[in-house]
Amino acid sequence: MLPFGYAIRNLMRDPARLLQAVLGSGLVVLMVMIAAAINNGMVGVLSASGSAKNIILLGAGSEESVLRSEISDRTAGIAESSITGLEKQVDVRAVSPEIHQMSFIAIDSNDRKQAFMRGVTPRALLVHQGVSVQAGHYVRPGQVMVGRLAWRRLGLPEEALQPGAEIWVEGTPMTIAGIFAAPGTVMESEIWMDLNDLRSMSLREHLSCVVLRLDTGEFEDIDLFTKQRLDLELAALRESDYFAKIAAFYAPIRGMTWMTALLIATGALLGGLNTLYAAFAPRIREIATLQAIGFGRRAILFSLVQESTITTLCGALVASFVAIGLLDGIAVSFSIGSFILSVSPSVAMAGLMTGLGLGLVGAIPPGLRCLLPPLPSALRSAG
Amino acid sequence: MNENNNVLIRCHELTKNYKKGNRLVTPLEKLDLEVKRGEFLALMGPSGSGKTTLLNLIAGIDQPSEGVLEVCGEDIGKLSRSKLARWRAAHVGYIFQLYHLVPVLTAFENVELPLLLSNMSRRDRRERVEHTLSLVGLDGRMHHYPKELSGGQEQRVAIARALVASPELLVADEPTGDLDREAADSVLQLLHQLVEEYDKTIVMVTHDPRAAERAGRLLHLEKGRLLETEAG
Ligand SMILES: Nc1ncnc2c1ncn2[C@@H]1O[C@H](COP(=O)(O)OP(=O)(O)OP(=O)(O)O)[C@@H](O)[C@H]1O
Ligand SMILES: [Mg+2]
Repeated sequence: MLPFGYAIRNLMRDPARLLQAVLGSGLVVLMVMIAAAINNGMVGVLSASGSAKNIILLGAGSEESVLRSEISDRTAGIAESSITGLEKQVDVRAVSPEIHQMSFIAIDSNDRKQAFMRGVTPRALLVHQGVSVQAGHYVRPGQVMVGRLAWRRLGLPEEALQPGAEIWVEGTPMTIAGIFAAPGTVMESEIWMDLNDLRSMSLREHLSCVVLRLDTGEFEDIDLFTKQRLDLELAALRESDYFAKIAAFYAPIRGMTWMTALLIATGALLGGLNTLYAAFAPRIREIATLQAIGFGRRAILFSLVQESTITTLCGALVASFVAIGLLDGIAVSFSIGSFILSVSPSVAMAGLMTGLGLGLVGAIPPGLRCLLPPLPSALRSAG
Repeated sequence: MNENNNVLIRCHELTKNYKKGNRLVTPLEKLDLEVKRGEFLALMGPSGSGKTTLLNLIAGIDQPSEGVLEVCGEDIGKLSRSKLARWRAAHVGYIFQLYHLVPVLTAFENVELPLLLSNMSRRDRRERVEHTLSLVGLDGRMHHYPKELSGGQEQRVAIARALVASPELLVADEPTGDLDREAADSVLQLLHQLVEEYDKTIVMVTHDPRAAERAGRLLHLEKGRLLETEAG
């Protein structure tokens, strides 16, 4: 085996090229880390948003979007009295009638943004148990309550959405009552207001959905209920299934982020191969000499792979620092919410693996181009 | 029997062809040659006569197209690539015209390379490398890089590298071709000493009649055939 120092000193032959190779592989690794972070974030927020104990009652035929669903106002009351096994707190059943809609909001009257609004009653807290009020208090009529990431989703300064501040919802000024957290879920990007306020503001007669929280009851009972009360035109969905469907809907987009990352990575890889070939090619004679001495091709290739792997792992290290510095904490918004990119262990691992893979695979084609020519002519080549 | 044992290199009807486009080039054709242990053989001949080709075959760098090629008791014409590499490590040291030292390694490290293929301890390797470098007169230059050495010194390092694993056979392709007269003389003196004192067998290609004079036996190659044999 060739000494490790041989690989290291070869790297130092051309520091400019080394730097170029480190940065190139760093770029590839960074791309992969970005794609991994986006995917993790999106899948994470969607899977955390749905609880298997929560059942959404929405309009038959609108199972894929609560925003498009309309159900009768009576649904909540009928469901509450007909369905057994719902969770109860101090004799109040976990039944939350809700309106979900996109509304225009503004902090001053000209800069309008589209926000995800949820009209709720105090019972919403019984079904959405991850929600807790962090500052101020729970929403009352005439007020709104903002998710702690709503400012990011809306592209507003954080100070704009503090308790006591005023925002305009569909042209009506409302006071922010509080800020709520719902860690890891899409709700954190929403704005909640009183159900009746939102209903009259949007001139709706109907609800979007009723969310129930099961205690001893089964999903099948509720499903049966919707089939018995055909007059209500309801469909029942587990909240977790609802978000799984949304996640499936976004799968092509996640695929696109991977594709983009892959394309950029491939381009950089090809450039990197060129760099490596340029680094190895002047050493054809030297590599042939090592073979003449008796080193096997495998031992020599191993040394070349060491060289490239050290380079790409340095690149991965640079990429990780850049990712931690620039990527970590960035909020990415998509239609139903936002999530925060984080350089999690799995993202870091994806980067590390990419770096390792680049080094292992990247050295092989240029390495073989140096190793495969017949020894007599390789020994004659200029070196 | 005894005589056969004394033969280190045996070529019989040794032929080497290369395909050049659709033409067949034959640098060596049906060449017969025997070299005994302890011989110092010089090969001369015009450019393109096949000297390097023959040397590469003998050193197991290249493989014959036809014929018998036995070196150090092995029929190396039929060895696989990886076996041939191991055979080279054990039996031959190759000395190049342009030294072919690894530029990122010191003289010491260059000479140590062949020993890395053995299972010698680090300490034994060090002893052996130091001994070999002092044999070629470079004890003071052990930790110099090739670019810090003169051509003659580089070639001595290269000779030490060829020598360090104690191969029976040394091959040298114009070892003095790039050296001035003084450096060339001392390299030749060294090769001569290796044959006389250390029982090495050397096959050396050269254009230099003065180098050929140093050898015990001189062969001329002409268009892939051995022309004449003289005593040196
Ligand atoms: N790989 C190869 N492919 C095709 N032809 C080759 C190859 N190697 C050598 N030859 C040819 O074989 C012939 C002999 O070459 P060789 O290198 O053995 O000559 P040489 O005697 O060493 O010459 P020089 O004194 O110039 O070094 C030449 O005509 C050369 O062109
Ligand atoms: Mg030649």
